[in-house]
Parts: sequence; C-alpha cells; structure tokens
Amino acid sequence: MTKLYLYSSRVLAALLVLVSSVAWAQQSVSGKVTASDDGSAIPGVNILEKGTTNGAVSDADGNFKINVGSNATLVFSFVGYTVQEVVVGNQSAINVSLVSDITSLSEVVVIGYGTQEKKEITSAVVSVSAKDFNAGNQTSPTSLIVGKVAGLSVVRPGGDPNQSPTLRLRGITTFGGNSSPLIVIDGIVGASLDNVDPSDIATMDVLKDGSAAAIYGARGSSGVILITTKSGKGGKGAYANVNYNGFISVDQVANKMDVLSASEFVAQGGTDFGSSTNWFDELTQTGVSSTNNISIEGASGNTTFRGAVNYRDNNGVVKGVDFQRLNTRLSLTHAALDGKLRFNLGLTYNDRDQESINLSAFRYATIYNPTAPIFETGETFGGYFQRPLFDFYNPVALSKQQQFIGERKNNLSNYRIEYDVIENLTLALNYSTDKETGLNGSYWSKKDFATGFGSGGQARRDTYENERRLFEATAKYAKGFGDLNTEFLVGFADQVVNNEGFAVQTRQFLYDYTGFDGIDFGAIRNGANTEASSYANQDNLRSVFGRANLNYKGTYFLSASVRGESYSGFGKNEKTGYFPAVSAGVQLTELVDLGPVSNLKLRASYGVTGSLPPASNLAIARFGPGGILDFDGDPLTTGDQYVSLTQISNGNPTLKWEEKTEINVGVDFGLFDNKLTGSMEYYTRNIDDILFNVQIPPGAPNPFDPINEPANVANNAWANIGSISSAGFEFTASYNDVKLGPINWTPSLNFTFYDKATINSFKVGELGPGELRLATPGSPGQNNNEIIRNIPGQTLGNMYGPIFSGIDENGKYVFPARFLNAQGVLDPSKFEVIGNGLPDGEFGFTNAFSYNNIDLSFLLRGAWGHDLYNSYRGFYENQDASSNSWNSVVTDKTPFVTSAPTFSSLYIEDASFIRLDNVSLGYNIPVKGGAFSNVRVYAAGQNLFTITKYTGIDPEVRYNDTENGNSFESNLAPGIERRNIYATTRTFTLGVSFKIK
Amino acid sequence: MNMLNIRNKFLAALATIMMLASCEATDQELFDEIPQDVALTTADATALQAFAAGAYKPLVGNWGGHNSLWSLHEVSSDELVITQKGADWEDGGQWIRVHQQNYQPAEQSVGNGWGYCFSSIATVNNLLKSFGTNEILRSELEVLRALSYLWLIDAYGNVPIITEIDTDPTPPTKTRAEVYAFIESSILNNIDNLPATKTYTTVNFFVAQAMLAKLYLNAEIYKGTPEWQKAADACQEIIDGGVYSLEANFFDNFKSDNAASKENIFVINYDKNNGTGFNLPQMTLHYSSQATFNLQQQPWNGYASQEEFYNSFDTDDARIRSFLAGPQYSSTGARLTDLSAEPTDPDGADLTFTPEINMLFPNAFRQAGARVAKFEFPTTSGPDLSNDFPIFRYGDVLLMRAEALWRLSSGSAEALSLVNQVRARSWSGNPLASLTADALLAERGREMFAEGWRRSDLIRFGKFNEAWWEKAASLPTKNIFPIPQGQIQVNPDLVQNPGY
Repeated sequence: MTKLYLYSSRVLAALLVLVSSVAWAQQSVSGKVTASDDGSAIPGVNILEKGTTNGAVSDADGNFKINVGSNATLVFSFVGYTVQEVVVGNQSAINVSLVSDITSLSEVVVIGYGTQEKKEITSAVVSVSAKDFNAGNQTSPTSLIVGKVAGLSVVRPGGDPNQSPTLRLRGITTFGGNSSPLIVIDGIVGASLDNVDPSDIATMDVLKDGSAAAIYGARGSSGVILITTKSGKGGKGAYANVNYNGFISVDQVANKMDVLSASEFVAQGGTDFGSSTNWFDELTQTGVSSTNNISIEGASGNTTFRGAVNYRDNNGVVKGVDFQRLNTRLSLTHAALDGKLRFNLGLTYNDRDQESINLSAFRYATIYNPTAPIFETGETFGGYFQRPLFDFYNPVALSKQQQFIGERKNNLSNYRIEYDVIENLTLALNYSTDKETGLNGSYWSKKDFATGFGSGGQARRDTYENERRLFEATAKYAKGFGDLNTEFLVGFADQVVNNEGFAVQTRQFLYDYTGFDGIDFGAIRNGANTEASSYANQDNLRSVFGRANLNYKGTYFLSASVRGESYSGFGKNEKTGYFPAVSAGVQLTELVDLGPVSNLKLRASYGVTGSLPPASNLAIARFGPGGILDFDGDPLTTGDQYVSLTQISNGNPTLKWEEKTEINVGVDFGLFDNKLTGSMEYYTRNIDDILFNVQIPPGAPNPFDPINEPANVANNAWANIGSISSAGFEFTASYNDVKLGPINWTPSLNFTFYDKATINSFKVGELGPGELRLATPGSPGQNNNEIIRNIPGQTLGNMYGPIFSGIDENGKYVFPARFLNAQGVLDPSKFEVIGNGLPDGEFGFTNAFSYNNIDLSFLLRGAWGHDLYNSYRGFYENQDASSNSWNSVVTDKTPFVTSAPTFSSLYIEDASFIRLDNVSLGYNIPVKGGAFSNVRVYAAGQNLFTITKYTGIDPEVRYNDTENGNSFESNLAPGIERRNIYATTRTFTLGVSFKIK
Repeated sequence: MNMLNIRNKFLAALATIMMLASCEATDQELFDEIPQDVALTTADATALQAFAAGAYKPLVGNWGGHNSLWSLHEVSSDELVITQKGADWEDGGQWIRVHQQNYQPAEQSVGNGWGYCFSSIATVNNLLKSFGTNEILRSELEVLRALSYLWLIDAYGNVPIITEIDTDPTPPTKTRAEVYAFIESSILNNIDNLPATKTYTTVNFFVAQAMLAKLYLNAEIYKGTPEWQKAADACQEIIDGGVYSLEANFFDNFKSDNAASKENIFVINYDKNNGTGFNLPQMTLHYSSQATFNLQQQPWNGYASQEEFYNSFDTDDARIRSFLAGPQYSSTGARLTDLSAEPTDPDGADLTFTPEINMLFPNAFRQAGARVAKFEFPTTSGPDLSNDFPIFRYGDVLLMRAEALWRLSSGSAEALSLVNQVRARSWSGNPLASLTADALLAERGREMFAEGWRRSDLIRFGKFNEAWWEKAASLPTKNIFPIPQGQIQVNPDLVQNPGY
C-alpha cells in the first residue's frame, strides 16, 4: 500500500512537471526545497512563476522542475513557512530553504483542550519550541526551558542527577496544595513528567495567568505547562525518516566549600590522626554520561506515525550516584471517513534504574577530620577508619556501605477518537492511564558505622504503584458568522487516582552478601529499624467545563470559560467548586496605522483557579493502627496483645480548595515587520482559603462540627484559612536575525520583577497561627531556634535573627543591646528581619548566532534580591572547641569567632547571581545526496561560570526547605542552603545527529 | 458503513456517558485506615479490648522521651540537668531556661506536655461518647481520664475540664480547685466498679487509690487545704489489699522485663518493638557509651544528674547504682575515650563521668555529670527500651503514707517504720532514728529518682523556689508551668497562669 502510494504520487508529480513544461518551454529550472530548521525535504510546495499561472509542486523528496520565461521570479509557498521569492536570472538549478513561519502571527499556541493562533490569544501564554530548547545533557523536560519563560523558575540547586527540578510559576502560589505547575502531556491532564524524554518534545506551552489556567480549574493555581511531543507529520505524502541523536557528556564538580588543610587543621588545635586526606576529592569523580536517541517518523496514506527510543546512562560526580533510563514512545494517528473520523494512539514506556548514596556524605566530606586516613587495620568497619565521636562518619565509608537503588517504570497510554459529527462540530473521547510502579531497595552494611553496625545490617524493600485513569469527553463547535469567528467547547472529565504500596525492613544479618535481595536473612523483623507496612488510597475528581472564544475581524477578541470541579477529598459540605475566567484583547494595528509598529495588541484577563488539598483523606477523621498494647506487660503471653485503634486525624467537613484570583494585563508588540517582537505582562494575584494544617486545641470538641466529629485527639486539622497576595511584571523581547555582516544574531531577553508574596492573614476566626516560625538550622545545638517567621502583613518567608555587629577581642559575637534580654542573652522576641529567600527578579538572556553552517547560542541567566542562609558557615566556621573533631569551612567572609555557632545576620548572604547557564556550538555538515542528511555535530557546556557574592555551594533560589519533609512547611521556609547540598556540576557535551531516509 | 448511523451511535454513546456520570465526585473512601462510622460503632468484645488499648496507648506516646512532660519535671527539679556543651545542646536555650525555672509559654516541652495529656483525654471522651453505656468500661475510662488531669493539675494547675458531653470547641480555663474537685469525683464515682485484682497496665481499684493518694497528698498545693488523713487512708487501702509488696531487689522494678514486678501498681507499657518512645539510653549516655552497651545508635549525651543530688546518695546505699559514674569501659573492658574532650577537661580524653559539672553553659565538659542508670539498658539496645515505666509503685505508696502520717503527727512511729521499711531494702543497717522534713524529702529523692515526681515533692516540701546550683531563687508562680503559647493562640478562652 505504501509503495503503491509512493509510486503513484511520484508519477503524479512527474506528470504535473511534464504538463507545465510542455506549455511554457523556454528555460528549465530544477532544484530542491528543504526546511531551514532541520534540512528535511518539503514535498507539496507550491512553486509559481510570479505574475503568471505557470506553476509546479515539489515531489515527495522536495525536488521540483519548472520551465519559465525570461526574467522570471519564482514564488515558493507552503503552509507554515515564510513565502520566498527567487529571481531566476540564468540559473538552471535553484535550491531553496524555506524558513519556518515562527515569527508570524499565525503561530499556533497550545491552550487547554485545543490550540489557538497566537494573534487570538488574550491571556498570558508562552510557547517554546524545540529549536529554542537549552542544549546539552538535559535529563528533565523542564530543564529545556530554564531561562526561556519570564516568570517561570526552574531550579535544581546542586548537581544531583537524580533530583527533579523545582518549578514555580510567578512565584509561590500555595503551600498546602501543590506548588508546581500542572503538567499536561499531549492533552493528558496531570500526567507525570517522567513519561516523557526531553528528546521527544516538540513544544512546551506555559499558561501563566489565571484566565488561561482556569480551564484546568482546581488544579490550575500554580500554572500549567502543556507538553506536546513530536509526532509524524501528514501532508507530505508517504515518507519515513530515521533520526539519530547521540551525545556524551562529562560532569565535573563546579563548586564546593573550602576547608582547612590537614596542617592548618592541626595548627588550629584539631586532633591529629597523622594522615592527610582530601575527603571531597575521595567522594567525587568526573562523571561520564551518554545518551542515544533514535526516532522513526513518517506517514502512509491516512496514517502518520512516530516511534522513538531513548537510552540515557547518566553518572554523577559522586561515585555511586547514577541512573539508566530507557524511554520508548509511539504515536499513531489514522484518519478515516474522508478525515472526519480520527484515531490517535499514544504509548509510552519508561524504565529507569537509579542508584544513590546517603547525601549527608557531602556534609561529612566537608567537615571530616582531614588528618584521618580513609582506611586502617581492623575489619569491624570493613577496614574504614571510624571513631566514636558525635556526628562523625567517614564519608567514603558512608557512600560505600549504604546502598540505595530504585527501579521505576512509567507507562502512559492514551486512546483518542475524534469525530466531525456535522460540519463545524467535533466530538472527542479520550481515555488515558498513567501508571508508575517502583521498587526500591536499601541496604546498610553490618560494617556501616553510621547505621548498619548498630542494627547488625539492615535491609529495606518497598514497592508502590500509582495509577491515574482519566476519561474525557469534549465537543467543539467552530463557526464564522460574517466577521465574527466563534469557537465553543464543552467537556466532561472523570479522573480516578489510586496509590498503593508496601514496605518491609529487617535487620541483623549474618552476611552482607545478599543485601536487600535476601531480606529474609534479617534475623529481627519486628521493632526498631524494622518495618512491615502498607498503604492504599484512591480519589476521584469529576469536572464539567466550557469555553467560548470570539474573534471579530481579527481585531477584537474575547474568551470566557468556566470549570466546575467536584473532588472526593473535599469536605462533605463543600463538594463542588466553580472556576470562571474571562479575557479580552484588541489589535490596535487593525484600527490605526502605527507606522513601524506592525503588531500592538492590548489584552486583559481575569481568572479564578484552585489548588486541591495535598492528600485526599484530609477532610475526614481517620482511625489507624497505633502501637500494640500488651495488657500484662509480658511479651511471652500473646493472647492479651492488641493493636490499639488510634485516631490519627481530626476531620473537617468544610475543607475545600484554595482559590486564586488573578488579573493580568498584557501587551504584545511587533516592530519592523515583526523583526522585533515581544510582550509585557503585569499581574496581581490573591490566594484565599489557603489550605493549612492548623493547630486546634487537643482534647476539645471539633471546631468545625463539635456534635458529629470526634473530639480532637491530635492537635491539628486541615482547614482553609488565610490569604496571600503577590504581583509581578514580566518582559520578553526578541529581535530576529540582526545582521552582523555575514553573521545572523537573534538576541532574546526576558525578565521578571516580583512583588514578593505577602501574607495577608493566617486566621479565620480563632483558627490559624498568629505567626508561623519554621526551620531550625539543626543539630548540633541549633535545634530549637527557628530562623524563618511567617507573619501576617509581612513578606512570606522572612528570616528573623539578631544583626551581627562584630566580634570582641576574644572572638566572641557582639550583638547590639536591643537584641539582648536583661541577662545579656539573645532574646528571640527582639529579633528583626534579616533576610528573605525569595528573589526580587529573574532574567534570561539568550543569544543565537548563525554563520553559514555554524551556529552558536548561549544563555545567561540570573536572579537577584534573594538571600540564602549558608548552613556550612552557620555551623562550621567558628574556632570553637568542637573544631578538634570537625574541620572548619573557610570563606572570604569567615571571621575569627570563638563563640558557639549561633544564627545571626552573619550567615545570611545576598545570593544574587548571573550564570552562564548554557552554551552550544553546532556545525551542520553539508552532505550531497545519499541517504544521510541533516548531519550535525555539536558541543555544549552547562553551568560554565557564576558571578555571585554568595560563598556557599549554589546561589540558586531555594523555594523550599529540603530538610523539611512536610511540603507545607517546606514551602514556607525558602532561602536555606542545607549542609547535605549536592555539589554543583559543570557539564560538557559532545554530540552528533543525522537523518536517514 | 452508513455515516449517519455511526454519528448517531457516537452521539448516543456520548450522551449516555455524560448522563451516567454524575458530576459530583464519589465520596472519599478509606482503604488503609478506618473511618469514624466504622471505628466507633463496632462493639464486639474483641473490638472493645482494642479500644481500651487505644485509650491507654496515648500514655505510651511522649512520656519517656526527650522534650516530654517527664523532661520538664526532671530538669526543672534539682535531680537532672542538660548542660550546653559548646554548640551541642544549645537548642535555643530551652534547657537552660527550664533548669533556671525561667520557662516560657513557647517552650516546646511545655506544649508537648499539654498535648500529651489532652490527646489522651480526647481519646477517652470519644470512646465514652460511643460506648459510655458499658458501665464497667465507663468507670475505667473516667478514671483513666482523671489520671491525665492529675498530671495536668500538677503541671499546669488551671486547665479546661472537658468531658464527652461538651460541645464548646474553645473550652474555658477552670481553676485548680475546680480541677481538683473534678479529679476527686471522677475517681470516687467509679472506684467501686474497678477490679480489685492486679492489672499492671490498666486501671484497677488500687491504681485509683494511688491516684487519690497523690491528689490528697498535694491537696494543700492544689486547693489550699490539706487532706493528709485521706492521703494516708488511700495508701492504707492499697496496703490492705495485699496484692502488692516490695521487691527484694529495688532494681527489679526497672529492669527490661519488669512485668513480673510485685511492686509496680501501674506502668506505661513500653516495648522496644510494639510500644516505643522510652529513649533514656539515648538521652543520658555519652556518645562513646555506645560501646559500653553495644547500642544500636549513638547516644546524645544530654541528661545528667546534678552533683548535689548525686551526693545525697551514700555509697553503701544500693540505690546509688541508679547512676552511672566514674571511668567508662566498653563491653569488652577497653577504656573508653572521647577524642573530642575539651583540652581544659582535667579528666583528659579518657571517658569518666564525674559527678562534678564545671558549668551549666556555654562550655560544660562533655564528660561531666553522673548519668541515669536506674533503668536497665540491655546490651544491644536500640533507642527504645522495653522497661515498663512505673507511674505508681508500692514503695512510693509506703513513703506517701509515711509522709501523710508524719504531717499529721511528726512523731508517728508508723511513719518512721514505713520509711525504714523502704530504706532497709537498699541500705540495710542504716535506719533513720527519727523523721524530719529534710530526711523525708531526701529519702523520697533516693527512692523515687528519675521517676518524674521530684518537682512535685520539692513544691510540697517548700523547696522548689530555693536557689541551687546555677539556679537563683524563683518566684512561687514558677510552681506551675505556663499555659502553652500555641494553646492560647487557638483557644482564646484559656487564661494564662499568673506570672507569665
């Protein structure tokens, strides 16, 4: 069938050429039409001799032949590409490279449940396509657009290859709910990012404002990122291309804390074990990673397809931290009934194995005694040097004798049917399952001094399965009424999420040999350091939604939508919420001639979105298994032992969604025939009914329903209280192809000014804290002094402490008297704001250069106005007594202090930075004919240098606190660089890609 | 195929789906936990046992761990201290403030102690709401609730009284005298329904009598008028019951498998596997002591005895083994060292627990202070002990009766005999010739060390506000702890105690 089609289309093309040549035989011109972005042949291009009806069409390989008159000009046109005119002169061969029509206003932007032309968009939406993605070894999809979208922060402090970036769109939107943007992959709402390999992504569209995100209702508050994967393209006839892309990268440690050398340490009075070890060097290595990506895409008849396989083998700068990932994706589309009935199948399988270490090895590699050897005689600790000092573990031993592995499989299946019932009306049914299964194993050797030694070896296995099933039905009606174009959408969605898993842990092993594979070698299976547990939960989200888009004469635009959401996890008195949005825009250039201004659209939008509670079972009082009570206290008699039934949560029948109301005003502009394009946005947002785990009086009747709910056994319950507000200004501009002699330069700049989130209130009635103090520096000695206070009326996440004013002659801290109590001791009630971890602004500046076949691009990125608490300095730079077991960190800010480390402004640093985040250099090797085309070699560098005054590991913004497992409190404690931060890395990549026909 | 046909089927299917699917989400189901309507209605005999277990389980929670009500009682008294060792154990100054009786409403331990008692009260109230018609269970639960109030009246004084019939989400503060009356009536109304047989982990007739004894013994403090005779009578009920007697070996009451103790009347049922939370080896031992007991985890080097209190023990008194002092050795007999010992520490790097402590803060020696060893630390212990924690003990009952009789008549021969009976077990051949306030208090100190009663005893003997090591004289308002800051924030009907 394919062959027949290929054959017939070639014959047809040849016939066309033949016919035209007979009619206008004067001068014969032939050549090939290719796409400028990837060099692929474009079949079906219309080629017209200007001012005549003489024309031709390129064949399946992009070749054409036409006979023209003298002084002819050929006009090449094809949908999605800029029209190009070529004066024939006396040329007989003309090869044309068509430029994709990216800057034109007909660019299509993916919005929720559909697409819209960019010129019609009336809310804040940014689309980034593959050619603008960051280069290099990008293992996470969102890393591709770091620095590309104003207002979108993608941060991954440190260089752990197994850590996913933290995302924030327009800053913090919630702390109780999900603070990362909702991910939609090929229309599948809420799909896991783990399903998609960065190589397979065609475009990423970011819905920034409330109006754009409102179609996603109660999950839209943190913004939405829509990922469209590459698929086979129709309209080019039958074809099949094989693409290969492969690269090797090398990771090096970019930054670490400086510490005293062995001799300096001894000179300072440290215990001398007689050796000299650079612990950090012993822990780290040069990591070599490789990636291979092969895809086949093509079309045949009414069927288009794309299949891809990606294999990544990533090794970090730390020995024992790595992952291997195999990702396979198939997308298949078939049209029947003259294209009225369309089937789409998308299958993804992702198989990932990873290995990691106890990250506190980084801390010990920094502070472990530099005079200690790695090994000594004696088998108790496996030959490693160990001493029984407080918080003192050989980092090399720690990284080798504790083992953590994870295997994860993701499977995303999507089935879609679309049917054009009548003209202008399309119905679609979509069903998808997104399943993740995981199996983790951990083993602490019998000889691991930190943990395994005491418990005689310890092994853990756990497995889980998370499944999301989503059914959606939509109907879309699009019709023009004279100058008014309309599009209406209604839909229904039903989502069920299931999570379940179990874990087993045993201890006291005779041999380390089996590790977690032989968990039943553990002699002790009950009690401390053992575990037998399971969990299962399910929730249901049902939604109805509708939207109308109106376009009058391409000048006035209006869009309105509403989504109703009912969630099983809401309290029984608050089952359903509604999320409306409206936006409008006007294209001024259609109304008045603005000279060089080729595009000027003003828009305004208003939208309401929500955040779901962080778990589905928070609204109800739950009873779980407490400990076991042995009535006679004698463990040998078992008949009198009962698992106690313990109330583990207090219910709240009024629990509901958080509600964000956002107003966005924006301008899209274009100058000089849209050579210079850009946009500006200003937004204000108010988040009310914030989900909060509030303190309630233990023992008292339930505050939400004292009659029916049980009395408060625990001292907290989830409730909607309080509100925060924030605002911001975003600017984006790009100048396409500035001519610098033979070099084309395309600079793109975006920046954001944040009006940081302000806490308006934390209270509804008597519930909620007057203020919330969070995040202590930690052990040793700084366990009880919270450094962050969230206080109504103030910026979220303010750091409170005394202001350091100097040191006295004995090296003791000196603080102004206003921070001290009557006894001369620091008084926390007198502390002041000494910093804030949220940034005032961020920017990204991309510069793309091209010269013949060479292209160069770099991204400068940065953030300013944010502070970081440098934990390493806060614990380990003082010359106090404990330094004879711990090494000291040394920075250019290190003073001579002999007091015990105490939190103060001394350890808060301005972490504003500019980073050369990404550089790539590519060369497209010209290839004449043959099966190979688009041959390209490239090199890339990531994180090449950073300009900052910050003296810690990574000045990157910390939106959450990694040492706080509670996501709610973690989000309220920004700006802390903890001591187990993974070293930052610098990555160099060398790659090649080509296409085979 | 007929296109119209397909279209109709498609439309029909869509319409059906949209109609079938109600637009309201399903109710939230639980799979790995139990909802209220199931949990509090299933009432077969076994379930009732489990519920009863659930009522006692909150007691296991945070009693024998760090930052607990026990920590507050001990560190605010003259028994134990947590010194600041450079950066280590600074912890925001909480333990220095507690030692100096300068505790603030925001102290974590003050909040923890409150939550500990009221969680138990709420659990009991929820069970009473559902199963209150079972008279025997009701009596047991009401007395158990009174036990939480006994702790509350002693620690916080003025607290809200909440029963199963209350519906006010912000229950108001009641005076200490009202709380006293509530405890007394809760016990007296129910005591005759309780079994007069040994129960050990649950409430029986004798536990209720022991509670009455504690209440009456401190009546002068709690409500302003003494009840010495009632205290003596309650103790006599236990003595007359004949169910309990002194163990020959004092330390058998505190060993790891102490379930057979003839002396322990009511315990918190700790178990290293099933009832965790008693973390004493971690809390008191030095880091290097891990090798002495082959502990699974490195201890924290926190709680130590105050020197003067340690010195109140005679070396011939077997109870001095309640401390770990002197040179320390590994389980194989090797001398332990602390390589991080301060250069100024006269004991050098060899680990020696000296009763003398050089300072409270900021640079106390890491080795300073005798450690708590009254409870057995079995070799290879994890952080959680299996030793059941005695709350009421026959030895205490004898001393309580002795004190009550002595208060009634300082020359009481029975009082002297009871004290000497307890004393002779551990320190034979050294009977007291007569009773004085100081002698009684010191004897209680030696017998009851680290069992959580010292603060209450010092207050009753009028010594709590006196100055002692690294602690100035304090105001009588310090005899009760502040109402936790967090509680006043969420319940505006609470009244802060005077002086805070």
